[in-house]
Amino acid sequence: MAMTRRDFLKRAGLVTAGSFIGPGVLGNPFLRKALADTIGDRYFVVLFLDGGNDGLNTVVPVSDGSGTLRQDYEAARESNGSGGIRLLTTDLASTWIGTDPGTGAQLALHPAFRNATTGGLHRLYQEGHVAVVQGVGYPKPNLSHDESRGKWETADPLGINGFGTGWLGRYLAANYVGTDIPAFCVRGSIPGDFAQNATSILATSRLESFGFPYDDWYPGDWAAHENAFDALYTEAAGSAQALLKYTGDVGRATFDATQLFPQLHTQYATDRSSWSATYNTGGPNGTGTSTSRNLREVAKVIYGMKSGLFPTLNTRFFEVRKGGFDTHSDQGGAETTGQHYRLHREVSDAIEVFYEDLEDMGVANKVCIFVWTEFSRRIPQNANGTDHGSQGPALLIGGTVVGGVYGKHPDITPSVVENNDGNSPYLQGPVSTPFRSTDNRDVFGTLLKHWLMMPAANIPAVLPLDPTGPSYDPMDYWQTANFDLGFLP
Amino acid sequence: MGDQNTPLTISTARHLLRRTGFGADPKRVADLENVTRGAAVDEILDFEPTRFRPGGRDIEDVHNNWIKYMVRVRHPLQEKLVLFWHDHFATSDQTVADPLLMRNQNRLFRRNCKGNFKTLVRSVNLDPAMMQFLDTVRNRKEQPNENYARELQELFTLGVLDLNGNPNYAQEDIVQIARAFSGWDYDRNSLEPWFRSSRHDYEADYPARGPKVIYTTFGQFGAGGSAFDANGEGEAEIDTVIDIIFEHRDSSNQNTVARHIARKLIEYFAHPSPSTAFVDAVIADSDFDTNFEIQPLLRAIFVHDDFYLSAATPGLGTKKSFKWPVDYVVGTLRQLKMKLKSKYQYLAGGEYDNVRDHLSDMGQVLLEPPSVFGWDWEEAWASSQAMLARFVFARDIGMARESGSAALRPLKLIDRSLTDPAQIVDAVTELLGVKDDLSTAARQALIDYLGPGPIQWTDDAPNGWDTRNEKIHGLFTLVLQSPYYQLH
Repeated sequence: MAMTRRDFLKRAGLVTAGSFIGPGVLGNPFLRKALADTIGDRYFVVLFLDGGNDGLNTVVPVSDGSGTLRQDYEAARESNGSGGIRLLTTDLASTWIGTDPGTGAQLALHPAFRNATTGGLHRLYQEGHVAVVQGVGYPKPNLSHDESRGKWETADPLGINGFGTGWLGRYLAANYVGTDIPAFCVRGSIPGDFAQNATSILATSRLESFGFPYDDWYPGDWAAHENAFDALYTEAAGSAQALLKYTGDVGRATFDATQLFPQLHTQYATDRSSWSATYNTGGPNGTGTSTSRNLREVAKVIYGMKSGLFPTLNTRFFEVRKGGFDTHSDQGGAETTGQHYRLHREVSDAIEVFYEDLEDMGVANKVCIFVWTEFSRRIPQNANGTDHGSQGPALLIGGTVVGGVYGKHPDITPSVVENNDGNSPYLQGPVSTPFRSTDNRDVFGTLLKHWLMMPAANIPAVLPLDPTGPSYDPMDYWQTANFDLGFLP
Repeated sequence: MGDQNTPLTISTARHLLRRTGFGADPKRVADLENVTRGAAVDEILDFEPTRFRPGGRDIEDVHNNWIKYMVRVRHPLQEKLVLFWHDHFATSDQTVADPLLMRNQNRLFRRNCKGNFKTLVRSVNLDPAMMQFLDTVRNRKEQPNENYARELQELFTLGVLDLNGNPNYAQEDIVQIARAFSGWDYDRNSLEPWFRSSRHDYEADYPARGPKVIYTTFGQFGAGGSAFDANGEGEAEIDTVIDIIFEHRDSSNQNTVARHIARKLIEYFAHPSPSTAFVDAVIADSDFDTNFEIQPLLRAIFVHDDFYLSAATPGLGTKKSFKWPVDYVVGTLRQLKMKLKSKYQYLAGGEYDNVRDHLSDMGQVLLEPPSVFGWDWEEAWASSQAMLARFVFARDIGMARESGSAALRPLKLIDRSLTDPAQIVDAVTELLGVKDDLSTAARQALIDYLGPGPIQWTDDAPNGWDTRNEKIHGLFTLVLQSPYYQLH
């Protein structure tokens, strides 16, 4: 698409003329938020590992502790031959993290989370910026990618509420209106966790190309076209008919985005060119990775917010997806050419660059990154990979995140695993239960309460409690009391 | 108050045509003025469903061939209904992974599109694509798979809650109905349904699972519920279950299936959140709660006063509906008499993207609905990405200037004797069905866009492109991009 970026001064002229962004249209976001649950001056970044990341080779037992974790791990994961995916204790020597709160066993991250030059995500862990939450899942796990992802995104694992909306979407819908663009998803469509219909979410893979589609054969007409377009949408936004008004709002937000977001790219590329270039390093070819480049898109918006150059910008929620975690075969172990190694290395290096960029901007304390996957994989390996499984670890990264290990490592004793289809059991119970796994809604609830500052009483509107009754097992229950997992102050 | 004898106006005729089709041809609109609602609806409903089945070896071709058919089909209501049933019994090739099964299911919806709803549900029960999608083929007696039993009630027939907000069934009903479907499969060669007795959950084999009784709590069958092995165990159960579901009554003692389906059809064809009185009236008028015939139900909807609440100029009481992406694309092509090019069905302008890519950006890839819940309707279509995709499509339409039927040809659509900008704006907005919806200021903005008249239609300008003609292409793009055109 040629010549789609428009002259900002010209837009400013329209603003002055009052024909496009008038008072009361975008409203005063601070006034509105004062009445609502507010993220304040913080940002929230979701990084989705699509395909089901193998949790047992992500957070790995190095010792038995009071149980048999390392023995069980070695029983499940082979070390010999080309198909071995076991991570040896020597492979894990430089990526130790804390101990398992359940058994006291020493844990380590996959060796790819450390790189020799800068330290990677493991360095961030050592500096106290990474929380590892073990055994995160939901009741009645479903091994289908689609189903499982949907259960995470809707936070409605039992399908009780019939949500067509995501848990973050419901939060956004309660706090923003149609002309706002509170969220930016670095992908072609809006992911399920952001799904809702009350406010505008930008979904595009590159800000630079989110320009308005002008008629390239007729550039002399662009200004007239824009004026007419503005007038039509302004009229609609003032309509008494609710749906027409909504359409008017969203169309204007979209038009605004086409004018504004490509500028964020330009501003960042100009002001932070050396930082921009760091995202192009690393990766197997030394040219960066899709994850690092996608996180750079997020950095551009955060910089736009931080710089104060774009007063109409109010985008604090982000999602980035990294695919390829469906490692049924050729998963690999500690060798740097292995598939799982490369996946982890890409994520680790990309987060590290992003985090350093945030530190340099002075906003690392204002950002929380949430890394999740739809399920972990089977405890025993197949020939040289792993099949679909249930719960696994999630990561939280940020300057104010309370680093450490949370939740308990799943029970992987062979007898338990065999009786559970190759998975460790999903045991939701009191926190005191040995091997208690973590309901993903406990993580979401903690984020809502401690990062997005929702009063606990408001949270059930976003994360409804499971119903009680004879059809439901006690393991389905969860409570707002669990929304203090501790990884955020 | 009106009824089937009320004559149509231009505005109500246009509304009727575009809701029962894709866009409205102004000539047809004019023909229906002063015809009674009943007579017009009878004519629209008077067609024999075709045996069309979209061809193609891969799912992209099947998708594009279905779109191509929608653009040319003589009775667009047929495809509007197939689209509805595709959304209602949402099945995705991403799970089924077999385009042939998807093609067959598409024909199944077409054959039954306005026939008997009970027959349709029974056909869907044993449709191979559905059996794959919701695991009927994996439903064995050892561990009955609840997937289909749940969606059959939740989505296809009853709904989780009735119109009073009370539950229609319990988890135990899902468990029991799953038993009725155990053992069903289909022959991989003939694709005919196949009951495998050895995989069926007989009560004698699993006495611990209790008697095969459903709706002891809900459904107005009384505490004894209704036994689905009443007509014998095994092969008969699957049909008996459907018989019982179709007798289920909600907490108002009304037929639950009839209300659920009538309401959803109204939401699709008319507008969201219809009143319960509207729902009950069309059921009473058509006896849908006893015969489950779709055609009379549709007739009752299309002649009802509330159906025409969307026809009016947007105001407080108007019930507008957001156009589906498919409606936006197909309706535009039909109204502008434009065709897509080649097997890939691309639009011959702008980015030259194929129709599936355009629709994908707008949020609706046919044969791949996002989940068993189908697509989210109304405001959910209006994300910034999806809105931008519509703006791109509209721009590409305006830039389609090759020769032939793939091009936008204003001279074939608008009377070239018109030279006054206001008259041209009126003609284009009339053609695209939004003239009555425009506010005075919106109309004026379009007139101002054209600039001062008189407009020259000549195409022999010195530089080869006549400026005024470019403006008219731009006008079409603007109207297609306008908020008014996103609604109907």
